[in-house]
Amino acid sequence: MTTIYRDVYSFLELVKKTVMSLFLKPLRVKETFQQLYFVANGSLWIIVFCVCFAAVVTILESSFHMKLVIQNDSMVPGFASLLILRELGAVVTALLLTSRVGAGIAAEVGSMKVTEQIDALRMLGIDPIQFLLIPRLIATTLGCMILCVVANLICIFAAMIISDQVLGYTPSMFLTAMNRFVQFRDLIFSVVKAMFFGMTIPMISCFFGFRCKSGADGVGSATTQSVVFASISIIFLDFILSYTFSYFY
Amino acid sequence: MLEYRNLVKKFGERTILKGINLKINQGEIVFILGTSGTGKSVLLKNTVGLLKPDAGEIWIDGEEVAGFSEFEFLKIRKKCGMVFQHPALFDSLTIYENIAFGLRKHFSLSESEISSRVNRALKLVNIHDINDKRPAEISYGMQKRVSLARTVALEPKVLLFDEPTTGLDPVTTNAINELIKDLSRTLKTTSLVVSHDMPCALSIADRIVVFDQGQIVDQGTPQELLNSKVKLVQEFLAEAKEMLDHDSNVIRGTTS
Repeated sequence: MTTIYRDVYSFLELVKKTVMSLFLKPLRVKETFQQLYFVANGSLWIIVFCVCFAAVVTILESSFHMKLVIQNDSMVPGFASLLILRELGAVVTALLLTSRVGAGIAAEVGSMKVTEQIDALRMLGIDPIQFLLIPRLIATTLGCMILCVVANLICIFAAMIISDQVLGYTPSMFLTAMNRFVQFRDLIFSVVKAMFFGMTIPMISCFFGFRCKSGADGVGSATTQSVVFASISIIFLDFILSYTFSYFY
Repeated sequence: MLEYRNLVKKFGERTILKGINLKINQGEIVFILGTSGTGKSVLLKNTVGLLKPDAGEIWIDGEEVAGFSEFEFLKIRKKCGMVFQHPALFDSLTIYENIAFGLRKHFSLSESEISSRVNRALKLVNIHDINDKRPAEISYGMQKRVSLARTVALEPKVLLFDEPTTGLDPVTTNAINELIKDLSRTLKTTSLVVSHDMPCALSIADRIVVFDQGQIVDQGTPQELLNSKVKLVQEFLAEAKEMLDHDSNVIRGTTS
């Protein structure tokens, strides 16, 4: 139990140092844009592919169960749009970024720790948090927000096509139903969720990377732990944020 | 120049350094020998604040630094350069940028001054024409030399070497050992070298300190160590003799 408290304390220490570095030290602009390109552009097609199938499953499953219970699936377009905007878009994007970007960050920082590059940075008077974490934090946060908007749009578009082709609801019917159910603030809340998820991923990945133990299994273990803890944190944060946003309706 | 007083370092329940007392004079080349896991590298990392001691004092150039913050250690890291066991070069930077990196951070130098210090450091380690290459494009031995050049470029008063010849072939090992000697003589730096290489320690060290289980078990000049009664030292000497005999037999062609 003491170890858990110590780990939580270490993580909070890292958060505190990161916030201080973020506001007090100069930003590595070029590195930040390179990371943003890696996060956003590099993950775009994976996210588009996955959210399309998530939309298909959402529409078909909703229709099947609504028909089963109330013998009518007319509410599916509106209900699915709401589900996509409030949950699916942001959460699926964040979970995919965790496995693609978060794992990469943990492995990269962990390797640097094992090969003493982090110590070398400190010896040269460079703060590893400012050098490594801050550009990744900004890039992943912005990237996650941008990808979340794209994922929401693609997901709704895919849902609209499936509704048209399989359920027989034309795009105009879909948009009318969506207009009745969905509000603009749903999209805003979705982007706010993406912002928190985007901050969580590099923080947790760098935390495990910085405390990586030596050897190949050390890097492997840091990577696995970072993906597991980031995924759990995203699900937990989603609950907290959804609960908080429910007060605004 | 450098002094440790009752230095203690623990990792959890395990005590790695058990009250180290050691004084190193200016310009001295001191080798720290010992088996793996006896706290040799931990001592070096405590010296420059990469690890924090649990008790004791570290004096560098008349200043007690054990309680220094990360910010306060910046000036100590200008004085004390460290060459790591791994080359620890930054993969995304060229060789030139790797060496210039610390100069830009620690000093306010013009680009021409940085260029001249980078080239001088590379010349000291006998490396030419690789300024624009990246670490992955050069051999491990060359990476080690570049790592040395990066530290030397800062012109530190104290050089700390953490197993500088581990994983290198005998030719490069000899070259690195000669470099340590030459650098200490030409730049008048104090050198603290963690190593397993007894023949090298006997040939270039002013003093050899032997560690065992977090404590100093023997120390003295190479000549004094040859007559040591400490079992670990005798084992190191026997190993060194065996290596030298083997090498000379290989040269004579009597052993494959």
